[in-house]
Amino acid sequence: MNPVFAVLLPLCTAFLIPLGFIFFRRALPLLVFSGGFFSALGAGAVAFLGWGGISTVMGGWAPELGIALKVDSLSACFLLLTSLGFPLALLSSAEEFGWHSWRFYVIFFLSWASTNGILVAGDIFNLFVFFEIFSVAAYLLVSFPASSWQAVEASFKYLIFGTLGALFILLGISYIFMATGQLNMALLQDFFPALPGPTLGVIAGCLLGGLLVKCGSAPAHFWLPDAHSSARAPVSALLSGVLVKAPLYALLRLGTLFFLSPLPRFFPLLLFFGTLSLGVGHLMAMQQEKIKRMLAYSTVAQIGTILLGLGCASSLGATASIYHVFTHMSSKMGLFLVAGVFLEDRHANSLGEMKGFLRHRPFFTIAFALLAASLAGIPPLSGFQSKWLLLLACVEKGYLIPALFLLGGTLISTAYYLKVLGAFCSPAEAPLPHRRPRPLVQGAVLFLVLLSLLLAVLPLLPGGKELLFSLPPEGMLP
Amino acid sequence: MILLSYGTAIVLFVIGLCTLLFRRNLFKIVIALSLMEGGVLLLITSMGYIPGGVPPLLPLLGEQAVNPLPQSFTLTAIVIGASDIALALAYIIKIYHHYGTVDVDKIRGLRG
Amino acid sequence: MTFTSSRLIHRIPALLLSLGIGFFLWRGLVLPSFPHLGSTAAHYVTHTASETGASNVVAAILFDYRAFDSLGEATVIYTTVCGVALLFAGRRYRSSRRGLSFVVKRGMALMVPFILLYASTIVLMGHLTPGGGFQGGVILATITVLFCIVYGSRFEAAQINPNKKEMAESFAGLFFVGLGLVGLLGGAGFLANLRAGFPGGTPGELLSAGTIPFLNIAVGLKVGASLSTLFYSMIKILEAPSEGPPPEVFSS
Repeated sequence: MNPVFAVLLPLCTAFLIPLGFIFFRRALPLLVFSGGFFSALGAGAVAFLGWGGISTVMGGWAPELGIALKVDSLSACFLLLTSLGFPLALLSSAEEFGWHSWRFYVIFFLSWASTNGILVAGDIFNLFVFFEIFSVAAYLLVSFPASSWQAVEASFKYLIFGTLGALFILLGISYIFMATGQLNMALLQDFFPALPGPTLGVIAGCLLGGLLVKCGSAPAHFWLPDAHSSARAPVSALLSGVLVKAPLYALLRLGTLFFLSPLPRFFPLLLFFGTLSLGVGHLMAMQQEKIKRMLAYSTVAQIGTILLGLGCASSLGATASIYHVFTHMSSKMGLFLVAGVFLEDRHANSLGEMKGFLRHRPFFTIAFALLAASLAGIPPLSGFQSKWLLLLACVEKGYLIPALFLLGGTLISTAYYLKVLGAFCSPAEAPLPHRRPRPLVQGAVLFLVLLSLLLAVLPLLPGGKELLFSLPPEGMLP
Repeated sequence: MILLSYGTAIVLFVIGLCTLLFRRNLFKIVIALSLMEGGVLLLITSMGYIPGGVPPLLPLLGEQAVNPLPQSFTLTAIVIGASDIALALAYIIKIYHHYGTVDVDKIRGLRG
Repeated sequence: MTFTSSRLIHRIPALLLSLGIGFFLWRGLVLPSFPHLGSTAAHYVTHTASETGASNVVAAILFDYRAFDSLGEATVIYTTVCGVALLFAGRRYRSSRRGLSFVVKRGMALMVPFILLYASTIVLMGHLTPGGGFQGGVILATITVLFCIVYGSRFEAAQINPNKKEMAESFAGLFFVGLGLVGLLGGAGFLANLRAGFPGGTPGELLSAGTIPFLNIAVGLKVGASLSTLFYSMIKILEAPSEGPPPEVFSS
């Protein structure tokens, strides 16, 4: 199975939607849903068949001449993540936005195609091109619909930060080309140990800086709370759940390919920025009164948690990070979807007014409680499992301060989620309007809850532990 | 000779970065991004130069052709940069329609 | 944007950071004492004629060896234009009827065929001379931009329906992917050129280089339609702005 199908199926759907709108307007929902179904199927097929490792070159050229695409267990795992996350977001957005704004779906599928493109890229300039499609699609998703001026401003801020990051990444890539004349990531791995010191430093600094800005880790996190809170709920769920994981994947991939032996100081820097994001994210989340902004700051903190695992530079750390990527996706998507439903019911944003949901929408409140508990790290849910592995990884390498931050973060996040749940469960002051039935969102949240529970029992299933530990790329020290 | 080219590229990049950090007019921020992009592209193009080289068009007019690979990267990166800048300008138009000003300090959502 | 204070004490760390980055970049430069083409680039220069049939090595790299990047690049423009059209959709925006004076209109009418010829040359001969789909497409878009400026955007929309531009973009994109799939189904790999059986011809002829002229045409149409839609969307006039203070004259 050629990995290019993971990119082509959503791309062709995106090209077909305008034609569908012009010629067969009634068939648009069918086109969108079938496109989503086939894209998820295609990416899933690439993931399963590529678990052992596929490497192809576009056009049939030799690896140093053409563009290589590469799938291994790490990319396959992330491809599964996108195949699960994007269809859920598609269902929720179809329910929330309707069909009169077809350009949204074009941008949605383009963002899907570009995320898959980042995950299967084997050539560093191709990675950059797909990163740019991904970023532009993300800016546009945040600013939809354009009638909300907050969304447009947040999107502009995201654009400035994102373009800055992209320019640094391009600078890093150009220094790589200047030093080696090569762009294929597998071939570059052999060139890196021989690079002169200052050049290696420049490349590492530019790539690290650019990718950290794109991830949204401190100190360049300023765009993330605005963007993720001003976007509409299904888009926020997609952004926090799936789209922030692509730069993290790129950091993991480039870090392990290029900097593991030549520049080991790269990883403690990742650890430092991760700890910083963890602290900043949790502390700022405590002070928020609006739910979506609180969830967005929580995303900053969770990105820090994942960076902690990457910064440990060990196989256990990488496994823990990938596990945490999945648990965060299942919890955060569900939390944002539920928050979106509640915000639409109440038409209010601050916690003081969000009361009485336990009686009004019991399923969603209980789902919120479960997912929040998982994300905060309450045993025996999945968030606890991944944080426990992260703690072990940190302690194993002797990084005690990050471990303390991790524990502190668990306590603080439990505190603010309890605050939110307390508001939800207390009796309503004003009567709530008649609620609109939300079958698709309900189904999506149920799926995410089941996914979270499945992830919680994954280490106990036969073969689960081996699966987890086979994920990090080769070459990582145990 | 090539050092002058690289030096200019880095100077452009730094000037763009300073403008991005110091200016309060939204348009100047976008121009700063454009400057930075220009610097990076000049760096990439200068990489391909070989003294005494001829353009990479067959049949070659001389012995050595300059490196065609950075030229193709530059073409791709110009298009990508132009798209980003166009989107930024579209956002500025929308912000102006709402606020009537393009001063960063006066626009609520953009502070900090 | 976070350092927008004009106090000197806040500006100095930012200035030092920028200068530090510049110094860091300067030190990291790699200056080979004997500049030569790397193995990849040398292969491109020596084998382009035989492996792709094109005369322009850069076009061969862009549309044959690294054609996937060009697909990505065309997609970036497509995304941007889709988004900008989304931003400016809606009934509150209308197009303009105002044009420039009679002399300009007549002059423009005389020039349009030549600009069109120039753009077509650049697109069609992209595999022989410097140029190609992207560059020619931009010049095509310039024609529609000039129409908007000289005759007013309502005239331009009447000449070329925005729906048709949308269709051109989508068809061109699907055509690009379709040509690539021909190679894939033939077993040669996605976006394969001569290996997939496309006729190479003699390098230097107009009809040579397999798929490269067709990819150039597709990309030229796509970029032209995209940039035209972009400009048309951005110069729409906001009717009766109902929110925000009245526009002020800017002096910073």
